[in-house]
Amino acid sequence: MLSVQKVLWVIMILMASLAAGCANSTVPAQSNLLYLGATTPGNPVSTRTTTTIFPLEQETMQVTIYHATNDAMYLIPEIHIVPKNDYPAQTAIELLLAGTKNMALVSVMPPDTKLRALWVKDHIAYVDFNDNLIKKNTGGSTSELLLVAAIVNTLTEFPNIQKVQILVEGNKVDTIVGHMDTTQPLSRSEKIIKKL
Amino acid sequence: MRRRLLSLFLLIMFLMPQVTLARPSHTNIPSAVSPVAPIIKETMMTTNEDVLPRVELTNVRWFVNKEGVTGGNNLRLVIDTTGPVQVSSKLDDTNSQVVIDITGATVGNTIGCLPLDGDIADQVSFTTMANNNSKIIVSLTGVIDNSDYNVFTLPSNSAANKIFRVVVDINKPIPKAEYTFTSGLQNKVIVIDPGHGGSDSGAVGLNKTQEKTITLAVAQKVQVLLEKAGAEVLMTRQTDKDVYGPNASAVDELKARTSVANDNNAAVFLSIHIDASSNLIAGGTTTYYYPKTKYDVLLAQCIQNNLVVAGRLQNRGRRPARFYVMRNTEMPAVLAELAFISNPNEEQLINSPQFQQQMAQGIVQGLDAFFALAAKNGGGL
Repeated sequence: MLSVQKVLWVIMILMASLAAGCANSTVPAQSNLLYLGATTPGNPVSTRTTTTIFPLEQETMQVTIYHATNDAMYLIPEIHIVPKNDYPAQTAIELLLAGTKNMALVSVMPPDTKLRALWVKDHIAYVDFNDNLIKKNTGGSTSELLLVAAIVNTLTEFPNIQKVQILVEGNKVDTIVGHMDTTQPLSRSEKIIKKL
Repeated sequence: MRRRLLSLFLLIMFLMPQVTLARPSHTNIPSAVSPVAPIIKETMMTTNEDVLPRVELTNVRWFVNKEGVTGGNNLRLVIDTTGPVQVSSKLDDTNSQVVIDITGATVGNTIGCLPLDGDIADQVSFTTMANNNSKIIVSLTGVIDNSDYNVFTLPSNSAANKIFRVVVDINKPIPKAEYTFTSGLQNKVIVIDPGHGGSDSGAVGLNKTQEKTITLAVAQKVQVLLEKAGAEVLMTRQTDKDVYGPNASAVDELKARTSVANDNNAAVFLSIHIDASSNLIAGGTTTYYYPKTKYDVLLAQCIQNNLVVAGRLQNRGRRPARFYVMRNTEMPAVLAELAFISNPNEEQLINSPQFQQQMAQGIVQGLDAFFALAAKNGGGL
């Protein structure tokens, strides 16, 4: 498993943070920040674009994950640049599970949710979580919708993945918390991504 | 093929944020709450006031984007033009063709009638008209409303190697409704579904309020009001219990609820829920629907409007979602999320019998408004 804490990454939040959009419409001067610690400091709410520069010539890859807006209305993409590896989809889910440091965004994944397995067959990604996906879920239609959409949209960023089947402890689940129909592989949703 | 089209779409969305920003009538409005569009839609290129001679339509591309999580598909047609044009568009009399008039461009030799995949439209045809104008006709597979399509232009962008374009977005037509409605609540069979129950508490607030308790309390108040108005109310549960049985599979439980409506030819199905978020500040009222008949969105809009007036919480709008109970009921159905149990203020509110009564009245007024509008105008918005 990839330990996210040890990764030095570049976070470019392409879409502006919400609070920032209202309170401060100009891009702050410090849009390129050099972070060289074991952890990434929290992004100030006013930061539109935060970039962490890799110090070395290490090969990198870009991974796009989705978090919810503070008001739980929409998803916003968060782009991470991480050391290149052979399992980018798994890395994307690990980053999704690690949550966000952006104060204007909210992680949609329930706490202590772990990725058990991830494989792709016939352009369908099968993503298997432990049962904290259900047990530690806050419930509510809106968080279920955002949770499922964030997983599906994060994985369908990869060109070889068209649909996503969510599994819990190795099994298909009819629904996560009682609203969403997750019996079939789901395709991506653009409508739930906030347009700016 | 689909894969490629999706990639193309993503590429366009990524490279060209103005694809979305340039939509004149939709700016700053979430797509889920599109306003009712005017009958004739006009867009004008602002980059060049002088209409250049010999502008041509040179290329056409299309793809269908499937909304897996929110439901519904939409078709995007992109037509390249060698210069700026003016466009106006309307639906024909049968609402089954989108007719786009292009002023200031003729049809180039490279494009003609183009067959589409039949998911949303069967074909698009191009005709040169008098005075260097042209007409584009998109033949749909079904019937749409004015709010289901949008036509706009995009300027050239040399940085992204893009020339002038006309863009046509069309939502998937909903099959003609088999339902007809009369106004009034009298004798209507209405299924009320108090969300969760029994072994499933639903969401739980910081002060331990359980969603299943509030949904039942509000549902019972709705039942009293509807029966007073002469409706026949079928409740999926009357007590704190699982509808199918304790610890049944989720599908058995949800199916037991939709069966109450399907087996009794109910006019509408209404599921009552309380929302939750990991963020305590999130709050407000949402009505979810799945666009399966022409009437689902109208029902959602009526319920949402009246809930917001009744409860005065943040209006989160009516939103499409692939929820089991809406997908698996035959009749128009909505799932109303009255408030957020995770928001401490709203948790306190939903425990108040007075607030519950207000929300129940909002639901009943919403149903009354729905039947009146559905009888008068049919489905859609």
